[in-house]
Amino acid sequence: MFKNEEMEINLGPQHPSTHGVLRVKLRLDGETIKHCRPMIGYLHRGVEKICENKTYFQGQIWTDRMDYCSAIANNLGWAEANEKLFGITVPRRAQYIRTMLNEFNRLASHLVWLATHALDIGAMTVFLYTFREREDILDINEAFCGSRLTTTALRIGGLREDLPPGFEKMVQKFLAKFPACLEEYENLLSENRIWKKRTVGVAKLNAEDAIALGVTGPMLRAAGVPYDIRKAFPYAAYAEMDFEIPTRTEADTYARYLVRLAEMRQSARIIQQCMDGMPEGPVMAKVPKILKAEVNEVYHATEAPKGEIGYYLVGEKGNPNPYRFHVRAPGFINLQSLPKMVEGSLLADIVAAIGTLDIVLGEIDR
Amino acid sequence: MHKFLKTLIPFDIAKGMLITGKHFSKVFFSANRRKVPFHVVSEYPEVPAKMQPRFRGRLQLLRDEAGEIKCVCCMACEKICPTQVITIESDKKEVRKTKLPTRYDFEMERCIFCEFCVESCGFDSIILNHQFELAVYNREDMSIAMDGKFQNMFGISPVAKYSVADEKD
Ligand code: SF4
Ligand code: SF4
Repeated sequence: MFKNEEMEINLGPQHPSTHGVLRVKLRLDGETIKHCRPMIGYLHRGVEKICENKTYFQGQIWTDRMDYCSAIANNLGWAEANEKLFGITVPRRAQYIRTMLNEFNRLASHLVWLATHALDIGAMTVFLYTFREREDILDINEAFCGSRLTTTALRIGGLREDLPPGFEKMVQKFLAKFPACLEEYENLLSENRIWKKRTVGVAKLNAEDAIALGVTGPMLRAAGVPYDIRKAFPYAAYAEMDFEIPTRTEADTYARYLVRLAEMRQSARIIQQCMDGMPEGPVMAKVPKILKAEVNEVYHATEAPKGEIGYYLVGEKGNPNPYRFHVRAPGFINLQSLPKMVEGSLLADIVAAIGTLDIVLGEIDR
Repeated sequence: MHKFLKTLIPFDIAKGMLITGKHFSKVFFSANRRKVPFHVVSEYPEVPAKMQPRFRGRLQLLRDEAGEIKCVCCMACEKICPTQVITIESDKKEVRKTKLPTRYDFEMERCIFCEFCVESCGFDSIILNHQFELAVYNREDMSIAMDGKFQNMFGISPVAKYSVADEKD
């Protein structure tokens, strides 16, 4: 089976550059990767099954803990899927606040991505600076809902509470300084020759393959496909927001870096628009104490920082729990493109490839 | 020629070094001065940490002005808790119309601080206080009862020396 010169090794599951507990089985010929298979499941908790044994309300806390870097984006998809199932209309103010929090979450997630991706490739400084800004976003999370990472901020039908006093000041303070911070990262990385050597032309995934594999999010947009669910199927208050979908055509690691940086700029823009156009009114719709669905099924997709996150819910008559709860996790599907990206390239490139995928294993294994 | 110079002299690296140098000097020349605007390190154990008003810490039972336990044992919190860490037993007491809990157990090691219980309580009889220092030496101390020796449901734990102990709004 093996040729003499081929060698099989494992990357992970405890390797620091695999972002958790990903194990990649590699067959090498010298330093060239001949064969690559990602092995997952080390963090499997059975979130989908647990949620089928909990009420519709209680399911939220498990969505927090899937992709722990973007808890609010996960909550938003979950809440909207439930609202679709039960026909609840969310008040406009709640929609705006949700949109704003979701964009803050996108910023936080992208900052973590930039930090870890740069750290994997060897740029330590960026890590320190991005976590400085992320700290401010987590403080905003804490001010809004009392928790920093696993926020449980949203509810079916709206939000638990309105914005706290002094919230606007915090947001404006953050928005005032954020563009300068972004520029700092760009000055550190964009022209840096080491960074460019490690990223330009590395881990290419063209649009055709990306679509065939079901890859979504910045990975797809860096291949030149302007597909963003916020624009394609607007949810929350995105229909009223003015923003662009940054795309590139190079489809390599460097292009994905540029796309994500541009996305952060757009997120800051959306937050500003939300703050300016914040309508008055209640933040919670009337929701019955016990939700019981007629037999009904919904699929609702939203744009999480990592790609399309979809929730598939089947309700059962007279049952306070969902009959089926399924999550289409973006990281899970994006990870399947790893062999396509790295087979035939050098071993060192796989670290860049895993970084650019922006995976969180809590979501992939669920 | 231009390209050659660019390869020879690492302008791009110098640009990055300039940024790190700027930040380094900023901190270096103001290290021991108080109240510099970019002073991000808090002197936590000496100065109690200030949490946001909505911070979700440990579950605490409240008493009303007369010192009575506010909880009326409607079991709403027990039912909604996603990790099932609350156990309530009640007894009809003659002293008041509503029920009084005889047992209110809270297994903190499994609590995820989601605040569903506080939200479901229609009598405002529980809060998540601002206590975040929850480490203990024995696992049994994590199970908090109404009359626990080490820590009970009514007060701040003795381990929380440095948490802000004031009430939530
Ligand atoms: S905070 Fe959540 S997990 Fe903890 S006791 Fe309350 S409902 Fe249960
Ligand atoms: S919901 Fe409030 S009143 Fe009801 S049992 Fe829990 S603490 Fe007591």
